[in-house]
Amino acid sequence: MAEYLNQNPLYQSAVETFFSDMPEAEVTLEFIVPEKDFNNAGKGSAEVKNLLKRLGVDSEILRRIAVASYEAEINVAAHSRGGKMVSNVYDELIHICFVDEGPGIGDIEQAMQPGFSTADDLVREMGFGAGLGLPNIKKNSDWMRIRSNAGDSTTLELIIFFA
Amino acid sequence: MDNTEAKYFHAIRILEDNCTGCTACVRVCPTEAIRVRDRKAVIDPNRCIDCGNCVATCQFHAIIPRSDSLELLHNFKYKVAIISSSYAGQFTEDISYGVAKQALYELGFDEVAEEAMVTNFMIRMIREYIRENRDKRPILSSNCPAVVRLIQVKYPSLLPNLFHQEAPMSILTRYLREKIAAERHLKDNELGIFLIVPCVAHVTAVHQPEGAYKHLQDGAFSIGMIYGKVREHLKKFQNNPMEVETFSKGLTWALSGVQAELVDCEDIRALSVNGIENVMDILSRVEDHYLDQYDYIVLRSCTNGCVGGCLNVENPFVAMSRIKKMIKEAPEQSFDEEPLSDLHDQGEFDVVPLTPRSILELDKDIKSAIQKMKKINEFLILLPGLNCSACGSPSCYALAEDIVQGRATIDDCVVLLKRHSHDEGAEDDSEE
Repeated sequence: MAEYLNQNPLYQSAVETFFSDMPEAEVTLEFIVPEKDFNNAGKGSAEVKNLLKRLGVDSEILRRIAVASYEAEINVAAHSRGGKMVSNVYDELIHICFVDEGPGIGDIEQAMQPGFSTADDLVREMGFGAGLGLPNIKKNSDWMRIRSNAGDSTTLELIIFFA
Repeated sequence: MDNTEAKYFHAIRILEDNCTGCTACVRVCPTEAIRVRDRKAVIDPNRCIDCGNCVATCQFHAIIPRSDSLELLHNFKYKVAIISSSYAGQFTEDISYGVAKQALYELGFDEVAEEAMVTNFMIRMIREYIRENRDKRPILSSNCPAVVRLIQVKYPSLLPNLFHQEAPMSILTRYLREKIAAERHLKDNELGIFLIVPCVAHVTAVHQPEGAYKHLQDGAFSIGMIYGKVREHLKKFQNNPMEVETFSKGLTWALSGVQAELVDCEDIRALSVNGIENVMDILSRVEDHYLDQYDYIVLRSCTNGCVGGCLNVENPFVAMSRIKKMIKEAPEQSFDEEPLSDLHDQGEFDVVPLTPRSILELDKDIKSAIQKMKKINEFLILLPGLNCSACGSPSCYALAEDIVQGRATIDDCVVLLKRHSHDEGAEDDSEE
């Protein structure tokens, strides 16, 4: 299993504490992301944004969450055979997990390069696939982890703190 | 409804006697400001943005726009009307704009000015502003008072992006008040300036000046209200037209798409959006910086722009087509913009930044907000998810939120009540 990890050192210990405690989420939102359904892709992250607005999350942090989750959701729709998005809200942070049903990422390091894209013609016709999705998620999240096996499913997780 | 003091004036009122509690208005409100309680609609003044959706939807004439009475004119020695550009699109094509304008004098006005007079000046001012504020992208138009209020309540992080200069009607009020008072030696209380407006949001703007509408007028008359009276005088002038100067070229202001095209140029990319649902979709994307490639976005709450205002009488597409025809056929006109430019240079049209009025947050404290959200989700599981509005809230989610905020109870859900009574009936049967 290939793994890619990126984190903001400021939050390193907070993330470690979070994973060792593994508290129960206060609020959970789940969305199914069907393959190549560009009419609906983005609705999951829109719901997450709506929820966080109601919680009074700071607007700049909200924007980062909205962008990171939107890009990841589009990735699932564009590149996988479909998957789901689970957002867990805690007192201090949001953890969003995207799990798809394959086909996996062959070379994650390469996929992380801005501009690198494997998007097919259909995806490009829809105006996606510029190769900026993953770099954008990385840029906007405090912690991000991708686990994937070529030919198998991919799991992308991200954490963004509210303060 | 909320016990918070109603701080905001609204140009909409509910006639309780006419209200059947049908919830049609509840379902079309973009800010979920309306609830039906005790079979009557109630508007939360903190949430209402005066878009007029409910006015247009209500079949029972229970939600009616406030409009001042023409009697107001008697209080002034010299009366000036400033007409919205959409006015020109309300008449059949055998009636020229000049005749429609002339008929207004018969209602008692001594002078009729047009919003359209300052369109060229506005376009220049907007372009200049866009170029001077390179750090803010996109700049959002501030002419539509409903959109500005929408941004205050739902997208407060975008307030700095608003075009911080006055709207045409406000600019004209400022300019004409001084000019006419000086020319005619009038005291302040002798000169009345009135707007003839296409929508409730503009009526509100007159009574509660804020943002791009900072200069006080003496009243607002809706196009719909004066329309009948105007028509009484049309025939007379149609047969006997006088020379009336009109500024048809500037009528573009009533059409959101055309306004964007006018601002658009080599170094400015403009986008036009109209209809409140589209506006909300776009604002959400602007928030996430997905539309930073645009320099300017024209946002209007109504279909096609001001021609879609709910106080107009003509269909917005027909009105748009008529106005476009008038613009095409109109001769070039000159309006002396120099006095306006001078005022602009003195900073007279600057607008103070607006304060947010966020309605979305469940609680000031994020932890309490999360706890409330948790409870909302618990209620959501119990509710049927039909979003039928029979409870008086716009959706099951809204009812769950109302319950958690202490504004409703789960017994308000008619569907649950029916299911319970059915279950109880079934139990009774089994006992027999």
